[in-house]
Amino acid sequence: MRLDARPTHVIPLMARRMPQSPNQATDDPAYWSGKVRAVAAAHDVDAFILVFSHFGPRLKRYLIGLNADDAQADELVQDTMLKLWRRAELFDPARASVTTWLFRIARNLYLDRVRGQRHAQARQDALDLIEADDEVDGAEQLLDVARLERALQALPPPQARMLRMAYFEAKTHAQIAEELSMPLGSVKSSIRRSFAKLKAAMGGSR
Amino acid sequence: MKPHHHIDEATLVSYAAGALSEAFAVVVAAHLAVCDACRETLAQAEDIGGHLMRLQAGVPLDDTSLARMLARLPEAERDTTPVQPPSRHDPDVLPPALWPHFGPSYRALRWRWLGPGVHYIRGAGVDEDHLMLLRVAPGRCLPMHTHGGSELTMVLRGAYDDSLGHFAPGDVADLDSDVEHQPVTAPGVPCVCVAATDAPLRFSGWVARTLQPLFRL
Repeated sequence: MRLDARPTHVIPLMARRMPQSPNQATDDPAYWSGKVRAVAAAHDVDAFILVFSHFGPRLKRYLIGLNADDAQADELVQDTMLKLWRRAELFDPARASVTTWLFRIARNLYLDRVRGQRHAQARQDALDLIEADDEVDGAEQLLDVARLERALQALPPPQARMLRMAYFEAKTHAQIAEELSMPLGSVKSSIRRSFAKLKAAMGGSR
Repeated sequence: MKPHHHIDEATLVSYAAGALSEAFAVVVAAHLAVCDACRETLAQAEDIGGHLMRLQAGVPLDDTSLARMLARLPEAERDTTPVQPPSRHDPDVLPPALWPHFGPSYRALRWRWLGPGVHYIRGAGVDEDHLMLLRVAPGRCLPMHTHGGSELTMVLRGAYDDSLGHFAPGDVADLDSDVEHQPVTAPGVPCVCVAATDAPLRFSGWVARTLQPLFRL
C-alpha cells in the first residue's frame, strides 16, 4: 500500500488504523519489552524480526510524514532498528515503552540527517544520563492503549488536526498558525488543551 | 536548582515532535537538564508521539529491507555503556547542551559589546533561527521590547525581574509576540542568559532604536 494521494489533513487522526489482528498481544507494551529483552539477553534474531516487522513500516510512515523521501525513510528505519539492536541492553521498560523509545530514536535521526541538527543525539545522550539518575519506581511503563485511543478520537477535529500537524509533520506553532490562518496564541492553547486531555487519559502511567 | 518558571507545554510537545529549530531545542535541552517537572512532561509528550506513531498503519518497507537489515546485525557492535556524565560541580562549566555552540567554559567565552552594560555571543553552527548568550551588567534596565515571533530565554547566572516575575538560574521565559517586557537585572552579579529567537527583537524608545541594528545579529 502506498501513501494515498489525498492531503493528510483531511483524514481523521485515526482513520488509517490497521485492521486489528485477532491477536491483541501487539497492543501490549509488555509484549514488546519482552522482545527487546530477548534481543538484549540472547541476541535473539527472531525477536528482532518481530519488532522490525511491526514497527518498521510505522516508523517509515512517520518519517515520510516528516518529509523524508521513500529511500531516505527506509534508511532511517534501518538505522533506528540497528540502534535498537546495539543498545537493547540499555533499554529500561521502567523509563519508556519500546514504542516511545523507537519514536525518540527515529526523531533524533531525522533531526540529524534531514534537518541538519548535528547535535540532536548529543542532546539526547545528555538527557539520558540525567534521567538515569532520576528515581523511577521500577515498574514497567504500562499504558492503557485503548483509553488513550478513545481520548484521541474524542478530540474535537480542529484540535486533532493541530496535534497531527505538530506530531506527524513536525510543524512549528508559527507554521500551523499560518497554514490555518489562526493567531499563534490560539494554536498554542489548543495544543495545550489536547495535550492535557491525552495526559489525563494516560493517567497513572507515569 | 529547582526552577520556578517552566517551558510552555506546547513547546515541549514541539520538542517531542522534532519540530523545534536547533536554536530553540538547545535552550529547551538546557532547561530539561535542571528541571524534573519538564522532563516528566516531555516524557509524556514522547509517549503520546510514540503511540500516535504506532496506531498508524505503516508504509511497506522496501522489499530488500529485512534482508539488508539482517545483514548488518553481525557486524554491529553492542553499545552497553552509557556515555560518562560530565562534571556538574565545576562552576566554570556551561550546561552541556550549549557546548557545541559556545564551548564548555564560561572563562573562555569571548564576549562582544552590544550596548552599555550588554555583551553577547552568537552561537556557532546554528542555521535555523538565532541562538545567543547575553550578559547584562547587574542592576540594569533593558529597553522595553516585544518580539516579532517567539523567544525562549533561560537564565544561567545572576537574575532579572520583569512583569512576569523573578527569573533566577534555571528559569525560562517562553514568550511570543504578545508579550512586551522590560527586564531589570538583579544587583550583584551580571545576568547571563541563553536565548533563542525566531525574529529580531523590537525595541521602543530612542536608545532602543539605536541598539536595534545591533540586535539584528
